[in-house]
Amino acid sequence: MSDGRQAGNDTAQPTPEDPLGVSEAAATIERIVENVEQVIVGNHDAIEDILIVALARSHLLLEDVPGVGKTMLARAVATSVDCSFKRIQFTPDLLPTDVTGVNVYNQKHQTFEFQPGPVFANVALADEINRAPPKTQAALLEAMGERQVTVDGETRDLPEPFVVIATQNDVETGQTYELPLAEVDRFMKKIRLGYPNEADETELLGRVAGDHPIRSLSAVADAVEVQRARRTVASVDVREPVRNYVSRLAAHTRDHAKLGVSPRGAIALVRASQARAVLTERSFVTPDDVQSEIESVWAHRIRSGDRARDGAEVVEAAIEAVPVE
Amino acid sequence: MSEATARSVAGTTRATAQSARALALAGVAALTLSYTSVLYYVADVTRGAETMLAVLAGSLLLGILLGRYVGTTVAGGVALSVAITGSVGYVLSIPPDQRALLFTTRVVTDTIALLTGLSVLRLTNAGVWALGVAPAPIIVSWYLAVRRRYVWSVVAGGTALSLLVLTGDAGPTTTLTGVIGGATAVGVGDVERAGGPTPQFDAVVAVVAAMVVVTASLSAAAGGATGTPFGDGGESPTVESTVVEAEDNIRILGSISLSTDVQFEISAARGNYWQTAAYDRYTGQGWVRTGETTAIEGTRAGPPGSARPLRQEVTAQTDLGSVPGAWRPVNVEGAAVRSTQQGGFRPETRIAANTTYTVRSRIPQYTTAQLRRAGTDYPDDVTATYAGLPGSTPDRVSERATEVTANASTPYDRAVAIERYLEEEKRYSLDVESPDGPIADSFLFEMDAGYCTYYATTMVTMLRSQGVPARFVVGYTTGEQVGDDRYRVRGLNSHAWVQVYFPDVGWVRFDPTPAGPREAAEERQIRQTEGNGTESGPNSTGPAEGSDTDVVNLTPTTPVPDPNVTATVGNEPATPSVAGADDGSDELSLPDLPSNRTVAVWAVTLAGLLAVGRRTGALGRVRTAVALGRQSRSAPDADAIRAYDRLETLFELRYRPRAAGETPRTYVSTLVADGAEEAALSVVDAYEQARHGDGVDKTTADDVVATVDRFVDEWSLGDRLGR
Repeated sequence: MSDGRQAGNDTAQPTPEDPLGVSEAAATIERIVENVEQVIVGNHDAIEDILIVALARSHLLLEDVPGVGKTMLARAVATSVDCSFKRIQFTPDLLPTDVTGVNVYNQKHQTFEFQPGPVFANVALADEINRAPPKTQAALLEAMGERQVTVDGETRDLPEPFVVIATQNDVETGQTYELPLAEVDRFMKKIRLGYPNEADETELLGRVAGDHPIRSLSAVADAVEVQRARRTVASVDVREPVRNYVSRLAAHTRDHAKLGVSPRGAIALVRASQARAVLTERSFVTPDDVQSEIESVWAHRIRSGDRARDGAEVVEAAIEAVPVE
Repeated sequence: MSEATARSVAGTTRATAQSARALALAGVAALTLSYTSVLYYVADVTRGAETMLAVLAGSLLLGILLGRYVGTTVAGGVALSVAITGSVGYVLSIPPDQRALLFTTRVVTDTIALLTGLSVLRLTNAGVWALGVAPAPIIVSWYLAVRRRYVWSVVAGGTALSLLVLTGDAGPTTTLTGVIGGATAVGVGDVERAGGPTPQFDAVVAVVAAMVVVTASLSAAAGGATGTPFGDGGESPTVESTVVEAEDNIRILGSISLSTDVQFEISAARGNYWQTAAYDRYTGQGWVRTGETTAIEGTRAGPPGSARPLRQEVTAQTDLGSVPGAWRPVNVEGAAVRSTQQGGFRPETRIAANTTYTVRSRIPQYTTAQLRRAGTDYPDDVTATYAGLPGSTPDRVSERATEVTANASTPYDRAVAIERYLEEEKRYSLDVESPDGPIADSFLFEMDAGYCTYYATTMVTMLRSQGVPARFVVGYTTGEQVGDDRYRVRGLNSHAWVQVYFPDVGWVRFDPTPAGPREAAEERQIRQTEGNGTESGPNSTGPAEGSDTDVVNLTPTTPVPDPNVTATVGNEPATPSVAGADDGSDELSLPDLPSNRTVAVWAVTLAGLLAVGRRTGALGRVRTAVALGRQSRSAPDADAIRAYDRLETLFELRYRPRAAGETPRTYVSTLVADGAEEAALSVVDAYEQARHGDGVDKTTADDVVATVDRFVDEWSLGDRLGR
């Protein structure tokens, strides 16, 4: 069985199947965010985005220049929830088995033993995913979608919770394999961290002057709590007016772009909105939740067909044009 | 589900485009209707209505078919060849002797003349011209409209309409129809192509309405009383305005007034009617003088029969645009004149006041017996020019004329019978409503009173319906005799009468207007002015003294503008009104119903205001203000939602409306950040809970309803007044 389940059985009476109350879940998330903020300066929104993706059982694509703290962010989140964290540096010579793991012949026992790859972690950071060849990318994406890996015909479940945070370097585009749209669609959100502002950077420099704070970061929640919070998110109400609002938004992007959002994108938006509702201590989704989630969930799924207009602009136009009823 | 939404959105867009197309085509149709109605009218006046209808329908069909099935090049070729055929047909229809004049500079000058206000009806072959011109614009504009090129379609149709506007044949209503149609087609056509949302219709409606109203009010300011939508209440025009200028067109008007200004003095051995112009073409609404003026050399021929000369010395007292003289003038000295096709004279430039010129006339001499004997052997050109009536003239006119002339065997007896009939049957009055239908028909069957132009027009129409060549003549009656062989002629002497053609005699005058009432009105007018002058004396500051601008209005429904005149009137035993005023003076006079055109302009104005209101949201605000009030109670959830709706309505009135993509929470919290009361957020909380969550309990609903009630009350008491 997976690591997460064992941890859950050890630490608490309630099982991962019991949902937390909404306010309890909100408090837990709040606690995690604050904890991560001890390490990460000035990226409150990005921390919330990672947690929303985790709570909505999906994955995150981070696109940014190197050195803005992508790895640190992922590691800090993993540590805060007491989860395993693995980092995979994608390179052009990376093989699918380097991700999923491989059966190794044990001479002592005269058997093949499975050596789990780095993807067997609660939080897997796939660094510079666009540097690896498509076949390797596909192996990771299968793991993301199926929450299991198949090696030599044998299927193995991945731990729960399981979140992939993939990063993309959009500056050095030489020798990269751009993710196909179908694969980009599998990431619930695509966000950018961006450079810190002056005050944040000053603060950051002060913190790292001595021991790096990540070393002293402790867990404020565990995997079971995360799974219970996931249950809470899944139980959030999405009533007809909101569902209709989402489908009208989707229709608008399809009418005003070469490629609008897919139904998968619409579903992802509803899920993210549910998580956002929990963050604001609400047991139902309002159009406000949809509006706060829509850009990071939809922008990377849309091709406007016009070089001057990116997906974010199409989404923005949809928000403005589609009436909230 | 999302696919269904997408489909319904696409469906809406398609429906919008379809209704836009229908509207745009309706616009093109209105434009087409505007200029074809003018062309049809021209054809009707010249008795070519059926041919014209066939040509119009054929062109329309051809244009639509070409638009459906044929490319631009071929269609352009067809339209060009049709246009050329039309022009050639017109040229061939002109008599050979005139055709020789047509080429070289004549074509250019004619075109310029048309474009500077020469009515199409003045062309000798106006009907053929209309038939030749009609097809090209119809084919081109419908070809383009079918192909959704509305702008170019409107350019084609608009060119035709503009030509007719410049010639003065398209009246204001026609022009308005065309302009509205064109603007609608262009505006809505744009909407159709953009597949845009409905708000753009508002803009189109507002712009069109603005155009209509501005056009209407501008022409009301510039064009004076005639022919404008708002002109109904304007100052009454005078008969003399047409008589003095002897214009090429005469429209029969409604109420008129008479001016006592002296126009000219004339020395002649005998008094006569001083004719200024004769008109040959009857349009149903008025008269047109066709043909060009020609230069004269020496003395013109007199009438065909025997005649005796009359020498008249005319001294203009004001600027004269015509050359008054007894029929038939043969020579003018002291003023540069040209000869008209009808045998009269027109001055080359206006004759300045105090100019004296001499007119020599040859007055036809005949006896009644001679006229009776004259027979019906009319020259062809006389029949062609002076015996025609518009095709739209109702049959009952000719039936009545046949009845009236049942016992008359000669043209002369017929003329006398009709003259007598009109004198007996109709009452003389200057205060009449301008009729909607053809003048003669209306005067015969619907009106019981009228003035000279009605009598004369009706008599000519009745005579022509009996095949007797006759024409409509304007000029002055003899005037006031002020000395031996000297007559003073004033504006109020202006008059219209009839001339009937008799072979071997020429044109003979008939005057169907009852002389008694007319002269009485004229005399009363003179007495009033002169009596007023002596009474007010040299020290008077009253406006009557100079009397240049003193156009006294005889219309009984309008007050006399000059208090001095009113005083004088009080001393007069007779009422200052013309015959027939007695009927109206005792009764409470009801306001006249506005004319159709006024109603139309007001309707357009209203539509424009509504569109502007919708566009600016003013209409919505009024509507929502009504919806603010108290709310009736039902289930807690419905109450909470309704409470929020009212809050939004209130905030819309107080601050701004909620934008389309703005959520209620964003909207209210933005306003709260800008100073709205924080309690508003609790209303949003309850609303969200009721609409998106598991609902609210009764206490919460009561609370938010109370909160909104309080908001409404506070605003009603304080801020609403302060605003």
